[in-house]
Amino acid sequence: QEAAKYEKKVMVLDFVTPTPLGNSWGLGGTCVNVGCIPKKLMHQAALLGQALEDSRKFGWQFTEEVEHNWMTMTESVQNYIGSLNWGYRVALREKKVTYENAYGEFVAPHTVKATNKRGVEKLYTAERFLIATGERPRYLGIPGDKEYCISSDDLFSLPYCPGKTLVVGASYVALECAGFLAGLGLDVTVMVRSILLRGFDQDIANKIGEYMEEHGIKFIREFVPIKVEQIEEGTPGRLKVTAKSTKGNEIIEGEYNTVLLAIGRDACTRNIGLDKVGVKINEKTGKIPVNDEEQTNVPYIYAVGDILQDKLELTPVAIQAGRLLIRRLYGGATSKCDYVNVPTTVFTPLEYGACGYSEETAVEKFGEENIEVYHSHFWPLEWTVPSRDNNKCYAKIICNIQDNERVIGFHVLGPNAGEVTQGFAAAIKCGMTKEQLDSTIGIHPVCAEV
Amino acid sequence: MGWEEKRVRGYLEFAQTAQRYHGRPIFALFCGDKDAEGKSWCPDCVTAEPIVRKELHNMPDESVFIYCLVGDRAYWKDPNNEFRKNLKLTAVPTLLKYGTPQKLVEEECFKAELVRMLFTED
Repeated sequence: QEAAKYEKKVMVLDFVTPTPLGNSWGLGGTCVNVGCIPKKLMHQAALLGQALEDSRKFGWQFTEEVEHNWMTMTESVQNYIGSLNWGYRVALREKKVTYENAYGEFVAPHTVKATNKRGVEKLYTAERFLIATGERPRYLGIPGDKEYCISSDDLFSLPYCPGKTLVVGASYVALECAGFLAGLGLDVTVMVRSILLRGFDQDIANKIGEYMEEHGIKFIREFVPIKVEQIEEGTPGRLKVTAKSTKGNEIIEGEYNTVLLAIGRDACTRNIGLDKVGVKINEKTGKIPVNDEEQTNVPYIYAVGDILQDKLELTPVAIQAGRLLIRRLYGGATSKCDYVNVPTTVFTPLEYGACGYSEETAVEKFGEENIEVYHSHFWPLEWTVPSRDNNKCYAKIICNIQDNERVIGFHVLGPNAGEVTQGFAAAIKCGMTKEQLDSTIGIHPVCAEV
Repeated sequence: MGWEEKRVRGYLEFAQTAQRYHGRPIFALFCGDKDAEGKSWCPDCVTAEPIVRKELHNMPDESVFIYCLVGDRAYWKDPNNEFRKNLKLTAVPTLLKYGTPQKLVEEECFKAELVRMLFTED
């Protein structure tokens, strides 16, 4: 849409290769269809369940037991997503961007072949190309994985309640899904190969794990599945999972209705003909290295989003990078995408917002003696009356002593962490120091005042 | 078989007609009532109708096109009228594909391209 503003002739090729179970979706990419949007809505559904429980202590009286209907939630979520898909179609049309629901691949320099779902092929040429093909969930490569397991691609439109679920993985995708499934009342187990939330502050990652465990989510640590078999067909059916310890020869078995794989995502760069135009990719990870102007090694081909090597895999980052790129190419602008100090939030049952360095990375980069960590537990006022945990919410900031105690890391664990973090991210981008933070009077009573 | 048109007035008639054709693609255009000379109190509806009608041949076979007059201006302005409550309509004219989130409102209905897209979208 940005390029069309500059009167460029633009075409978008969007195509979703169906999941092993046959699932597909509309225009909008991962975030809209099988990522952030449905995830946050389902997380909200789980939070509302908790709120209903809390409400009794605040005086709301109801005798019926409250239950959750998976189909009602899923239908509403999918309906909303459908309106977004449609909204994008209208927007592209109005801005005169040509859209084809077809699989694009390079076949020659400056030339792309588009194959639609009926197999009809068309060729297109262009002056410049932008690759933003994103990633898809990785499978384990064990017997039964593609036939019986689901991934996040399938979860948000699952036409039946998943029931007793085994989540394999310890990524934020795994923990967020485990979190809201448990919040909706399901029996959830998480199988973790080694650590939780690799790449995130480990002090906080462990607190998140502890909180989830204390709230009924089972963890099986240091095991990996080696086989998935079907005991009984159905919606959901019954599956038997066999797993092996990573530390020895112990084998365990378990029965679940659903197995959700969330062990990582792989870039969709292998089957789009990049070799035909000479675009270099990292053979091991499939990611595309680009310079700080999102340009690949081939000057007229650019890339943004999750497929970039060494860049954050976040929707707003991809959007920002794309917009700035177009403004540089056609609008005469010079600003590049700032990949530093990008705030993020993990929507686990106890939400975690962060911006800047984790404690480990700060120590590594600046040296333990040069950083100061300030931290505090806090008890949200809203949690006091319903007697919810009084020592779980936590905030910490990491400061660089050598640079005026500039705040280089911000971490908060508690309700609405995303909303809290956004403001502090702007402050960090402005170079806020500890003193400035201290002198900012808090809003009372809110969690953020800590 | 081609497509057919059904003209209805008011929410009840609309709901009954939509239900009768359940299973077939249903498109609906909602407009303000017309006076004795056949002119609607809603000027945008007057503009949109001929544009939409020109694109009707793009609807898939077996489609049902429901042309629905919602009522007079006072009824429409009531924030609790049945169209707003049950179909979540926010404005007239609205052209929508029944049972899906796909719809076009007000000036969007003036664009033949968008109307065609609504009728032919998968």
